[in-house]
Amino acid sequence: MSDAVAVPSAPRRVPPIVDHLAGIVAIVIAWQVYVTATDAPAYMLPAPGAVGGALADLAISGALWRDLGFTFGNVVFGLVLGALAGFALGFVLAKSPTLERWLDGPILLLQTAPKIALAPLFVIWFGFGTTSKIVLIVSLVLFPVLVATIVGLRGVPQNALELARILKLTTWQRLMRVELPMALPEIFIGLRIGAVQAVVGAILGEWMSGKLGLGHLMTFASATYKTPLLFAAVLLTVALGIAVHVSLEAAERCLLRWKQ
Amino acid sequence: MITIEAVSKRFAGPKGEPVDALTPVDLTIPAGQFLSIVGPSGCGKSTLLRIIAGLETPSDGKLTIAATGVARPIGFVFQEPVLLPWLSTLANIRFPLDTGGVPRAEADATAHRLIKMVGLQGFEDALPHQLSGGMRQRAAIARALSYDPPILLMDEPFGALDLLTRDRMNDELLQIWRATKKTIVFVTHSVEEAAYLSDRVVVMSARPGRVRAIHDVDLPHPRGEATKLDPRFHQFMATFRRELK
Ligand SMILES: Nc1ncnc2c1ncn2[C@@H]1O[C@H](COP(=O)(O)OP(=O)(O)OP(=O)(O)O)[C@@H](O)[C@H]1O
Ligand SMILES: [Mg+2]
Repeated sequence: MSDAVAVPSAPRRVPPIVDHLAGIVAIVIAWQVYVTATDAPAYMLPAPGAVGGALADLAISGALWRDLGFTFGNVVFGLVLGALAGFALGFVLAKSPTLERWLDGPILLLQTAPKIALAPLFVIWFGFGTTSKIVLIVSLVLFPVLVATIVGLRGVPQNALELARILKLTTWQRLMRVELPMALPEIFIGLRIGAVQAVVGAILGEWMSGKLGLGHLMTFASATYKTPLLFAAVLLTVALGIAVHVSLEAAERCLLRWKQ
Repeated sequence: MITIEAVSKRFAGPKGEPVDALTPVDLTIPAGQFLSIVGPSGCGKSTLLRIIAGLETPSDGKLTIAATGVARPIGFVFQEPVLLPWLSTLANIRFPLDTGGVPRAEADATAHRLIKMVGLQGFEDALPHQLSGGMRQRAAIARALSYDPPILLMDEPFGALDLLTRDRMNDELLQIWRATKKTIVFVTHSVEEAAYLSDRVVVMSARPGRVRAIHDVDLPHPRGEATKLDPRFHQFMATFRRELK
């Protein structure tokens, strides 16, 4: 007789996306049931169908792509700009203890200052257009990336720097080929925080001024009691946030493959 | 040529008290010499090697390295292998060449040759965390050799290897040394390895770290199985062992 023990095979799992979709479908059903049961007025809580209709209207009129595109463009541009600035500044500070000592106070001040409170100031300084919105997003993205960069660069092991010294790497080579890759896991943590902030900043900027974007769509919908439209705008914002998150995760998975 | 004149090193200990890692050392290493350093743990072998490499500044004394106009005169094999974790074995070995402006094809050829020499065929694409400790060390050795530095500083490079691989690596190293006339400073715990490889052996003793004796090992070259049967080889080993006590 064989003494091999049959190992029970792991229970078969459906792909996670199916679980996610199931959860969403359940929520939509519960929502519909609640609206039907309580007969909630549409301006308080529109039925899922009404929100879908508002979305379809947006798509047909072209407003969807215009507003979504505007917000998306600002998020991406602000995120990239803020990340580059945060990384550059973080690198300089990590490399210069003197500068860091001087700037530590101002940076702490700026970092803890609620940027939301500065938003109206940005409008005064940079106008109602795109610039003030980008500045707001950059100010939100910059600090998490800056802090993460400093932490990441500080954590680069001494022996890797010694290798760079033995191989007489130039400062640029050391940065790009040793320090940046070593610090990348930390930098991505900062980027993920920054990405969430970027979406918040973009919407906030559009609330305050301008005639474009999902944030503007929200203020317009709420001012005119078009609640289904407001829901549609919120859904689009959520979708935008998820898209940014997923792309960032994909980039991270690709760049940090070596981390297992 | 490497000239070490009254070089000493004092570290701050755990409570801030001074620790003499190295009391003044005088040593001249002529170009092309194979010099080994043996000594008990903590006697300052790594410290001395790191001072020669410029990774540590001496507290006192003077170090001169006459390297004939090469961009990267020193190859260093760290006591703990240092590999870049996101690069494959091949890319790690090629790293000095890639950063030194060597054409891709040429760098690849060199790296493949060295991979074969250190016995890492089949692991070209493996990441460092997928290698064993000894394999990592061999990759680090191959990297130090890739750019053919005239001075090679090796800190217990074969400590993590099995005896057979160690013997093979010893012979490979001797062959490279004969072919390239490198100056090699080699730290080891093995008196056999020291006697087998070296022109000269420095025996150090601990607390405080200092040079206890220096021996010229005038066994004939090329060395091989015959060397290990030579009674004088065993005399050298016995001498080193006695001095280490
Ligand atoms: N960075 C440091 N700071 C403080 N003390 C140090 C430092 N590096 C080495 N030492 C001390 O210097 C002494 C010599 O250390 P070293 O690493 O040179 O020894 P070693 O001969 O290489 O030992 P081993 O054979 O174990 O590698 C030790 O007492 C150690 O504690
Ligand atoms: Mg050591």
